[in-house]
Amino acid sequence: MTDVIVNPSVVEPAALAPSTTTTKQWRPRRFTFGGLAIWIVLALLIILPVTCFLILAVSPRMFSQGPQWFTFTYIRQAFEGYTLRGVVNSLWVSSAVAVLATGGATSLAWLVQRTNIGARRLWSISMWLLLLMPTWIMAQGWTDLLQPFGVADALGVNLSWLYGEFFGPLGIIVVLTSASLPFAFFIVSAGLRGLGPEFEDAARIHGAGRLQTMKTVLPIIAPAILGAFAISFAETISDFGVADTLGYHAHFPLATYTLFNAISNFPANFSVGAVIAGVLILATVPPIALQSIVSRKSEAYGILSGRTRTPKRREFRPGPRVAATAAVGFFVFVALGVPIIGAVTGSFVQNLGEVGATHIHFTLTYFAQVFHPTIENDGLGSPLTLSNQLGLVVSTVTGVLAVILARRMMASRGGWSQRITDVFLLGSIAIPGVVLAVGYIFFYDLSFITHHIINIYKTLPLLMLGLVASAVPGQTRFMAGPVSQIQSSLSEAARVHGASRWRTWRTTNLPLMSRVLVWGWLLTFAKTISELAMSQILYPPSREPASVSIQSYINNFQLGTGTAMTVALMAEMFGVIILAFGAYRLLTPVGWRRVGWSVVD
Amino acid sequence: MPTLERPKPVGVAIASLSKTFSGKPALNDVSLTIDPGDFVVLLGPSGSGKTTMLRCVAGIERPSSGTIDIDGTRVAGPKTFVHPEKRGVAMVFQDYALWPHLSVRKNIAFPLASSGLAKDVRRGRVEGLLERVGIAHLADRYPNELSGGEQQRVALARALAADVGLILFDEPLSNLDTDRREQLRLEIATLTREAGATAIYITHDQSEAFALADYVGVLNKGSLVQFDTPENVYRRPVNSFVTRFTGIAGEFAVASVHDRSEEYVDVSLPFAPSHHVRARARDSGERVESLKLFVRASGVVLNAEAHDQGVGGEVLDVAFTGRGYEHVVSVGQGATLTKIFSARRFERATNVKVSFEPSECFVMDAREEEEQ
Repeated sequence: MTDVIVNPSVVEPAALAPSTTTTKQWRPRRFTFGGLAIWIVLALLIILPVTCFLILAVSPRMFSQGPQWFTFTYIRQAFEGYTLRGVVNSLWVSSAVAVLATGGATSLAWLVQRTNIGARRLWSISMWLLLLMPTWIMAQGWTDLLQPFGVADALGVNLSWLYGEFFGPLGIIVVLTSASLPFAFFIVSAGLRGLGPEFEDAARIHGAGRLQTMKTVLPIIAPAILGAFAISFAETISDFGVADTLGYHAHFPLATYTLFNAISNFPANFSVGAVIAGVLILATVPPIALQSIVSRKSEAYGILSGRTRTPKRREFRPGPRVAATAAVGFFVFVALGVPIIGAVTGSFVQNLGEVGATHIHFTLTYFAQVFHPTIENDGLGSPLTLSNQLGLVVSTVTGVLAVILARRMMASRGGWSQRITDVFLLGSIAIPGVVLAVGYIFFYDLSFITHHIINIYKTLPLLMLGLVASAVPGQTRFMAGPVSQIQSSLSEAARVHGASRWRTWRTTNLPLMSRVLVWGWLLTFAKTISELAMSQILYPPSREPASVSIQSYINNFQLGTGTAMTVALMAEMFGVIILAFGAYRLLTPVGWRRVGWSVVD
Repeated sequence: MPTLERPKPVGVAIASLSKTFSGKPALNDVSLTIDPGDFVVLLGPSGSGKTTMLRCVAGIERPSSGTIDIDGTRVAGPKTFVHPEKRGVAMVFQDYALWPHLSVRKNIAFPLASSGLAKDVRRGRVEGLLERVGIAHLADRYPNELSGGEQQRVALARALAADVGLILFDEPLSNLDTDRREQLRLEIATLTREAGATAIYITHDQSEAFALADYVGVLNKGSLVQFDTPENVYRRPVNSFVTRFTGIAGEFAVASVHDRSEEYVDVSLPFAPSHHVRARARDSGERVESLKLFVRASGVVLNAEAHDQGVGGEVLDVAFTGRGYEHVVSVGQGATLTKIFSARRFERATNVKVSFEPSECFVMDAREEEEQ
């Protein structure tokens, strides 16, 4: 047991905390009412709405949605014409994006983690910013830049040759790859951090050439690379932001949009929607299962020596160093800079995108409309206020639930309970927001539910529940890593030396988790106030959240106002993050800031 | 130099303690009584249950059955479970368990926060401990700025700060190098006895156990095999497991049993049938085939080949240890003796004579351990 640590990044976080792992692994999970309550909450939040909705695909009569108890009619319908195109497009685009994002992220992670390229912290921070950017905002930025009478025209740059190309699969792949990049980057980076130089050194010393060394060492981070692929694929296939904007305008249907279309048309066809939902979920099973199997197998060689040293960085000479830094800079500029510049500049361009506009110049008119509502424009005030309220409630509830779930997962590590929870959460991440939202519309409108359980259909609490449900799985897995790194002996030491449960949590766990709690809260807050799929489907009548309101303006050809609102929303997101971190620095003791998980390593 | 306050030492009574994890027994019907002020070391290999036992006493684990009384108060038993913070114990952890976000001073002050003592009294106590343990100059540092030995000193000071009658030590020296281990072992022994607390200390290192303990408890496969003074555990081990675990130079199958007395027995060995070896007769039972002769390193004397007594052997290896030489000697038929000390160096491949000190040799039934 001594002098052995487990690399947290190569294996599941389950295997940490060396001093007590042996006994912890044996510990059986007793039946507890807390555990039961958690599973009831998860059932109402995720399992039942999604399951009931999926059953509709073959048995519409079970929920009074059609005459048949069992039929394949809707499966046939879903695999015809427009919906079939959506499914096929989603599958190949997601595969392409997953390959590109994994390759790009692996290269980027290697450059940042294992070489001496310049501005390494900046690239890590850029990945976090990219993670926060909703895909519909990225699509909006590119659209503002490239469309006729858009930002490029206003700046006198002729990009018309790119316009036609971008409004099709190419643009969709560029935006979705940019959006998937940070997920893949963080997973591969974690893998690389755990890959000590001794493995490479040992291979070289024992006669392996560069290629053989790479072949020997690569399997150690294979789970990370496969994980990056699986998550990129799952994120892409479940994306709604691009499907609803770029995909719709480019007449390139993606499955999430055809699903939305199936239930928003009159009459709504929930059964076809359920088939598409089933396809979306099933498509994510192979990559996630593969990653899970490889991760589990890797546990066998996941125990590394306690003497694992900090990985050695490859020292580029000045010329290659500048070239590599410039390449990464260009990469980040395309992924993050272009959409931001497009949106921000677009918000100042008079008559943005108006065909036939004779004079294009810069103006503050749209921002005036954002903050001063008129009869024609409602402004962003009340939608933004509503989104902020949602953000506050959802991120707080999600944070609490995620911490509870992460702690339970870690308390039962190695056991069946942890494995079930882990697989369930991983599977839930793969459930597209649009599927969950449609599941909610369907499930919470069932007469049994409205009459006997809860009647929240077409209300704000339903939207809140949906947002919490979509955020909890990701947040729990995000928290699980840092939670697992807190050795149980720290809490045990506090209890043995006289601290109550509450004092133990307050004085030992909270400080060690404070950074990840703050960042997790901010991440959920930022994602919630800009969320589109759930909001579009579940918002109650006359109470539009900011993202839905912005889409309304854009769809009504008020591009300038919509873009200015987008910029205001982005500014708020980043402003809140800066303020929160500033407050954290000012208000927390020095010791809290010295330890635990960090945004930039 | 400041002196430590002396808490009232407490007694510990453990009766029929068992603990299972998912049906696998980790502790099996262990009973043990520790008198106030005693320094008890629980010795055993990995998986013997010593850590589980300590964690049950601390209240970190809940026993499956049995009782634990501390200072006459039941802290664990049927329908009784006192939480760790209410047991009035302190503990030094194997991985130190120092809170990384707190400075050394704040780590040590932690147990005093709920003591009800005035702030200046607490501060004075912490400063006294910092000085006593020799880390006053590190008071404002954080744990990650300390070496392993310094971290363990902080952990020791924290345990002493609690001012309790029972201190638990969970293999506190196992992560340290040999030099630091020796030094800290001495400090743990001195400071704990000076503090006047009862101590339960677990280790898998028999020399550490013998150096520290008033009493040693040897655990194997979840059972307490022997509980006695270090001298008795070494000189009168109750079975082959204890003998092996407390250090032997070699063990040999017995060929035949000859003269028996109440305490001693003469046996002959397959590689020296004409030579009789006298040994303590722990077992000299009916089945000779299951008997073995166990020899302590300190019970073997090495002489030149010309010596008229002893079993013939050949030196396989010799190592200089500073105060003399340790030898590995082949005594025939693949049997070897290791760690044989002699002030004189016998070169490799030299023929020697080996003689045995009866009080440090034991004839025992080797099946006992297997049957356990």
